[in-house]
Amino acid sequence: MSKVEAAAPPRVISSQKRRRFFSRNDKFTLGIFIGIPTLLHVGLVWFPALATIYLSFTYWTGINPEDIVWAGLANYENIFFNTPIFWEALRVNAIWLGWFFLIATPLGVLLAYQIDREIRGHKFYQSAYYLPVVLSLAVTGIIWNFLLRPDGFVNGLLGRDITNAISFFGDDRYNIWVIMIMASWRHIGYIMLLYLAGLKAVDAALREAATIDGATEWQTFRKVVFPAMRPVNIIVLVITIIESLRAFDMVYIIYGSSGGLPILGVLVFNNIAGEGASMKGAAYAVILFLLSIVPIIAYLNQQFKEDAK
Amino acid sequence: MLNKIAGHEVDRRLVLKGAAAGGLGIAGATMLAGCAPGSSGPISFGARTVDESPTIQLQGLVDAYVAKTGNEVSYNATESNAFQNNLSQYLQGTPDDCFQWMAGFRMQFFAEQGLLVDISDVWDEIGDQYDESYKIASTGLDGKQYFVPQSWYPWGLHFRKSMMAEIGLNPDDIYNWDDFMAALEELKGQGLIGLAAADKGGWEAMGTFDILNARINGYQFHVDLLGGREKWTDDRVKEVFRHWEMLLPYQNTNVLDLEWDGAMQLLLQKQAGFFMNGSWFGANFLEQSQEDYDDLWIVPFPEINPDHGRDTIDAPIDGFCVAKNGSNNEGGKDLIKFAGDMEGVQAMLDTGIPMTSANKGQDTSTYDAFQTQQLAVMGEAKYITQFLDRDTRPDFAGPVVGPALQSWFKDPTSTDSILESLQSQWDALPPL
Repeated sequence: MSKVEAAAPPRVISSQKRRRFFSRNDKFTLGIFIGIPTLLHVGLVWFPALATIYLSFTYWTGINPEDIVWAGLANYENIFFNTPIFWEALRVNAIWLGWFFLIATPLGVLLAYQIDREIRGHKFYQSAYYLPVVLSLAVTGIIWNFLLRPDGFVNGLLGRDITNAISFFGDDRYNIWVIMIMASWRHIGYIMLLYLAGLKAVDAALREAATIDGATEWQTFRKVVFPAMRPVNIIVLVITIIESLRAFDMVYIIYGSSGGLPILGVLVFNNIAGEGASMKGAAYAVILFLLSIVPIIAYLNQQFKEDAK
Repeated sequence: MLNKIAGHEVDRRLVLKGAAAGGLGIAGATMLAGCAPGSSGPISFGARTVDESPTIQLQGLVDAYVAKTGNEVSYNATESNAFQNNLSQYLQGTPDDCFQWMAGFRMQFFAEQGLLVDISDVWDEIGDQYDESYKIASTGLDGKQYFVPQSWYPWGLHFRKSMMAEIGLNPDDIYNWDDFMAALEELKGQGLIGLAAADKGGWEAMGTFDILNARINGYQFHVDLLGGREKWTDDRVKEVFRHWEMLLPYQNTNVLDLEWDGAMQLLLQKQAGFFMNGSWFGANFLEQSQEDYDDLWIVPFPEINPDHGRDTIDAPIDGFCVAKNGSNNEGGKDLIKFAGDMEGVQAMLDTGIPMTSANKGQDTSTYDAFQTQQLAVMGEAKYITQFLDRDTRPDFAGPVVGPALQSWFKDPTSTDSILESLQSQWDALPPL
């Protein structure tokens, strides 16, 4: 933002000029309108975030503030060098991100593109794919749990009882992929809807022009539509990263806070909630925060730089 | 402070003066306490279960209390895992006046943090109804009592009598490890699961670890290990996992896909011979039918090391505490005093839900056969432990041991590296 302002000094001056016309009343109103949300934002977002960062460098049971003891990097050392489950969780989150990035999100885009072309029955597809998005992740987890648990619907359909049920959630060979499919079930619809909204806004003349110039469908999409959708692409990318790193609800519904399928979100919870509260949980939260925010900031920064050019 | 005011005649003017000085909020609360003669006003009770049987039991208790005292009681139930996960926040916020909890380390931790009300005076009144061991289990590190026991249950090998009779096994004859392995082999030969096991919840397998460790290495080593005075990398701990590995071929293969109730189903449906668990699930059998309940039996886990025989057992005690931040401490105390008194115990027993009470007053001659057997199993043990997640640090049991046992089930050959990691994670724990 500041870069944009610096690049256009005249505009800054004009806005300063305009400011003088604010009456006392205007200033008061603006103050209230900006001040209250800012206070709430600082109090509810920044304060807890900074407190968490501070606490991640301490030992504390989460009960009496006077018991907080400075621990330096001990919690982080503990996580990186002594906690194998952290690396397992990181691996699962990385697979999650990769799967969303390479499979779920592109599928959502593809669906959006097909539906935008108004293929036959597109209204039906649209609702069908969007339906899971209406459900919260927790509900999604409950539904799939009913289907796939040892005494669930699918095992029942296959005529298996608990003794020889397919271990959808317990077997390490495929439980992660089962979870990926469950998560995608919802994620695809979400991306589809976002992209569809973007596609509707693309000027039809652009496509027509491309077709007239003899571009194939794929070329039109890659060279014309996709670049025209840049703002939506950024949103989709950011959402993909955030959704896959902050994943929690569904896994928690199925595995509880135990390590059945370790992911970072559950580790945060597992270490900070309950009786076992330790600030290791805060350190996990900070790691998770950095993992999600750094790539996003880097990406956005680059985008803004390109814009400035 | 509230105790003082409630216990003495309070000069109302003094209280009002306090109100003027101290602000209305605090003074308001003080005045209420000043007016409260011990235990009037609504009391809220927090149950850490939403299951059918225990709910009936606790409702019976609360109803009897209301009928006796005329006090208003609100009953708030929370699912047990959620209750546990929220306990710390719950106790610091606006908790119920009294709530269901567990004895041992888990209670002492919160007592240390000043979140529980000292109920030594309740023990003065009802203490003679309990054996000394229960008083010890109810005592915090400062020597005061913070807990009223409700019931206990032993962990042991459960089986169905009819099923064993059909197969021709007599589990009462299973005394040592070899007998047990032979029985498991027999069950396997019949195409059955020898030992039903679960660990999806991350805690179920801890019971098996406890008993194997106690049988092989004895009570003292077990307690010292959980207290951090022995090392997880010790060869004696490896021996525990070596024995556990011998059990794996007789277990169901989907251990990590089942929670305790899934493993219980295996026993209920006669697909598994034995189930190592706490006897509390007898109530679930009774929910099924009286016939299933009557068929259920328990024997102690077999002897492995003759030096230790079968002298140790996990027998967790459940009970009640009063929350310091509750709005009616006196009321909470009054309610759990009733719960600990034989009168309250009787109200719970009258609901017909099986319970082995901690109260001496429960006539053991009224025990049904399964309960009598539980008592016999208890009686054989010299040392009583609570359970791994009640006997060691909470930031170690759940977040560290739980996942470690799960990863051991995934790869039992990795015992050494898992134990090394357990030890290094113990060493990295913050000082208490």
